Amino acid sequence: MYEVRFHGRGGQGAVMAAQALASAAFQEGNYAVAFPYFGAERRGAPVMAFTRVDKDKIFSKTLIYEPDYIVVLDDKLCGLVDVSDGLKDSGMAIINSAEKPEDIKLGKAVKCATVDATTVALETLGQPITNSAILGAFAKATGLVSIDSVVEGIMDIFGNRIGERLATKNANAAKAAYEVTQVGTCQGGFECEKADKWLPGYDELPLGLATRPMETPEGLVGPGSFVDNKTGSWKTFAPIYDPDKCIMCRMCWFYCPDGAIKEVGEGDAKTLEFHHEYCKGCGICANECPKDAIKMER
Amino acid sequence: MDRHQGGETIAITIKTLPKEELFTSGHTACGGCGSPIVVRAAMKILGENTVTYFPACCLLVFGGTYPHNAFKVPYLHVLFENSAVCAAGIKHALNKQGKEDVNVVAFAGDGGTGDIGFQALSGAAERNEDILYICYDNEAYMNTGIQRSGSTPFGAWTTTTPAGTKIGGKELFKKDLPKIMMAHNVPYVATASVGHPADMIRKIEKAKNMKGFRYLQIFAPCPTGWRMDTSKTVEVAKKAVNSGMWTLFEMEDGVVTLNVKPKMEPVDDYLKMQGRFRHLTDEQIKIIQGWAYKKNEMDLKFVEAFSEDKKE
Ligand SMILES: Cc1ncc(C[n+]2csc(CCOP(=O)(O)OP(=O)(O)O)c2C)c(N)n1
Ligand code: SF4
Ligand code: SF4
Ligand code: SF4
Ligand SMILES: [Mg+2]
Repeated sequence: MYEVRFHGRGGQGAVMAAQALASAAFQEGNYAVAFPYFGAERRGAPVMAFTRVDKDKIFSKTLIYEPDYIVVLDDKLCGLVDVSDGLKDSGMAIINSAEKPEDIKLGKAVKCATVDATTVALETLGQPITNSAILGAFAKATGLVSIDSVVEGIMDIFGNRIGERLATKNANAAKAAYEVTQVGTCQGGFECEKADKWLPGYDELPLGLATRPMETPEGLVGPGSFVDNKTGSWKTFAPIYDPDKCIMCRMCWFYCPDGAIKEVGEGDAKTLEFHHEYCKGCGICANECPKDAIKMER
Repeated sequence: MDRHQGGETIAITIKTLPKEELFTSGHTACGGCGSPIVVRAAMKILGENTVTYFPACCLLVFGGTYPHNAFKVPYLHVLFENSAVCAAGIKHALNKQGKEDVNVVAFAGDGGTGDIGFQALSGAAERNEDILYICYDNEAYMNTGIQRSGSTPFGAWTTTTPAGTKIGGKELFKKDLPKIMMAHNVPYVATASVGHPADMIRKIEKAKNMKGFRYLQIFAPCPTGWRMDTSKTVEVAKKAVNSGMWTLFEMEDGVVTLNVKPKMEPVDDYLKMQGRFRHLTDEQIKIIQGWAYKKNEMDLKFVEAFSEDKKE
């Protein structure tokens, strides 16, 4: 039996990747299951999915706490979530990153494969969706499934969801990633910031369970406390602002769903500040600016 | 009856909208979500002296996950199916405490408003409860993973109206909820859209300054559920109005006004932007086009029948 934990962001298709891997393993005569972790988070927020593969029937239904392999669809997650938590010492990390395995820092030094799946995806699919490309890297790095089975797995799962034409493109992304995957060893000892949980006692909870804004070991809680939640790492593209073209019409400021654009200064000195720590890179500001003063760049 | 508190003049525009955010950054809506555009603006207009209520919906989850919260004002949730009466209860309680000047607003999704929350909504409207009810319409049950609602349009793919060889998305039409609310004869009912900000701001401010039951339904695209590019949220909302797929009108004291005359552009452009309509056949597109024409014709007749000069 081997167990794989996928770390991705909502919308990156971690669940489909887990299913396609299970299908690929199934093509080779194994038993396989794939399932997501159900959370309250939205597109862009960190999520997990799991695949279990065995020669025999699989009865275990739990989440995977001690994976043999971790697959990370977005290397920015490595600083936010302890992706190598519970990873076996003999295990391996497969990471979407433009860096070499030797430059990756995780909680422990393990075998590591990297592939610039985002670039591969942009080239083959025209979209930064890395869930198919990363499976090519998995095949190359682990040798547990052949690339042909991965292609079949993608055609099966993706084909059902998005049609044969797009599934073929995704299969091509996996094949392209297979060719450019590098295998090595990553660095260990990296500790990602993990805030303590605030678990109030009954006597600390204000009447009616409402919270006041207060500082706790977890940081700010209560009304307005989401300002501590820096959503900026969700983005692939970032707005680049040209103040010379801007006429301060405020449209981008109004439309930004994340309130990431702030107006600063007075009178003629008025200008905009983009708060990249919150901006999710949706591109609405650039799409709506009447003066083309905003461009989205990777 | 004078429903306008102290005769306040309506004056807020994009230029004068306060900078302060009562709905903060750091919320966890998907990138490009239309509903935070509504909520950010509404909170700026409503101001600090506001109590908010939410049923189960995306906004409840992305606006606050205990103990974190994006709202700087009181934020309450009881159940999915009773927003309007919960908000009314809050209003009564505040009145009893002598806090009669507090705005009480319920923000709810289209499923929570037009389907499961409807009996509570209809009852609260009929009793003319003194609340503002804002429905952000993203045309499906998004929070639970894109199931069709009464507000989902014909032909749209959702997980419960799949597009395959036998069925091509939803086979029924969008419920005309704004008109159902108008039929309740409440002081104010209006539709708005994130694609028409000036109109939306004006309507929220007007509704804020009135008394009695006020209902706004605001078109707020969901790029995740509509399977489209996150940068097109506002553009697609504009196209909905221009093609007659969404009408901007309001009813104030029984008089109906059309705010933006639909250009009746062909619906193709609007549909093509969204993956949820990718599977449509020419036949289905014709049906949608026909629906838009018929809706427009009915809306114009309706506006005419309830115009200022028809009022005795
Ligand atoms: C009585 C009840 N039934 C079902 C649910 C599950 N549920 C939570 S949110 C939701 C969908 C809400 O859809 P909508 O009101 O349109 O808001 P959206 O999520 O689309 O913003 C459902 C079905 C629930 N919470 N309570
Ligand atoms: S929309 Fe464009 S012109 Fe208007 S304020 Fe923003 S950057 Fe400036
Ligand atoms: S890209 Fe989206 S989130 Fe970022 S500043 Fe522009 S509108 Fe706001
Ligand atoms: S699923 Fe849709 S409505 Fe819900 S947060 Fe995401 S974009 Fe917004
Ligand atoms: Mg909805």
